[in-house]
Amino acid sequence: MAEQCSKSLNGLLGGLAQITYYQSPGITEQMLKEQLYPDLPQQDFKILHEKMVGILRSIASADMDFNQLEAFLTAQTKKQKGITLEQAEVLTKFWKTHKVKIRESLINQSKWENCLRNISWRVDLKSQSRHLDQINTPVAIMEFELGKNDQESEFLCLELEETKVNQLLKKLTEIEESISELSYTN
Amino acid sequence: MERCDSASNADTLRGRGLLGRKRCCCWTWPELSSSWLRAGLCQQIILHLECKTPGVNTLELTERLQAAGVELDLEATTALVHVTALFFRSAAQSKMSAEDLIVKLADSSNNWSKQALQVIRHVWTEQGKLIMAPEAAKHMLTVGQLVDLQWKLGMAISSDSCRSLNHPYVTMMLKVADPSGEIISRSFEMTVPQFRNFSKQFREVATALEMV
Repeated sequence: MAEQCSKSLNGLLGGLAQITYYQSPGITEQMLKEQLYPDLPQQDFKILHEKMVGILRSIASADMDFNQLEAFLTAQTKKQKGITLEQAEVLTKFWKTHKVKIRESLINQSKWENCLRNISWRVDLKSQSRHLDQINTPVAIMEFELGKNDQESEFLCLELEETKVNQLLKKLTEIEESISELSYTN
Repeated sequence: MERCDSASNADTLRGRGLLGRKRCCCWTWPELSSSWLRAGLCQQIILHLECKTPGVNTLELTERLQAAGVELDLEATTALVHVTALFFRSAAQSKMSAEDLIVKLADSSNNWSKQALQVIRHVWTEQGKLIMAPEAAKHMLTVGQLVDLQWKLGMAISSDSCRSLNHPYVTMMLKVADPSGEIISRSFEMTVPQFRNFSKQFREVATALEMV
């Protein structure tokens, strides 16, 4: 009986994650009830559903580590109309499995700028130019594929000579250094 | 070589997007027409636009033209190559048929000889479709020069769906000069792993350039 409850709860949490974080189409609250809790009265399911949504939201929003999670869930078990110990166990297992993926999805949900979808490049030998001294210089052609959300990509195609590429590498090193400093202070 | 006094010719060509460089209006069209016939210039340029050759060897082209009796120096040949490439690229982007292309060229100047237009019609009919494929056209008119790259390292602290985001990200702003000289800017965001991959690719490019 308890095992069945755990299985159903796990299924419910999975379904909630699909709806809220993974944006899977076609899954509804009603579907979850019918598949996982067919015998549970509608009102009871509603209560269970709301409770789990709230708990999952708190855990994900705080991006809890496992110490925080334990403390949080323990507090929930002690509350009136809180959760049972078995339910706390299911929630812990669930968070262990889904923590990283849910976090990634939350990060993506708050990304509204263009992202870099792909880079392709090739190196050409420049043989046509206004300036004699540029003939036979190697040049990199790089294509950046940019896009946001579900929009179609935009392609930016650049021609870069060696000096330019080296200048850019210097900038990229500066960025790497900043990132390292950030990890240090964090 | 005569300088053309017809500013209107150049304006018409520029207006129809077929002329990007100011200098090219200064050669008369008869000179250009005969050199195409002799050099198979069109062929070379189409091959380049199909990315089958890395470029048009203007030095070699100048020598061949001069050997055939056409007096164009390197600078003039280079400009000629640019103009031809530009109208082929424009035609590719507008998906022009060979007929449309020669009508447009003929409209823009009286100096196109019948033979020159025929050469262009032939080359465009045979090979134009290869550079009009969506992949190819997309690459063509937008090869720009990078003018500036600016960057910012940010940290997303929280959002409406997550109070504890704590997510570092790199934003870049690229300023690019397109072939017409217009500067466009585009920005994009990367996660730290994406940025590291970006850096790695750039280093590969640098290595490849060194090895040429």
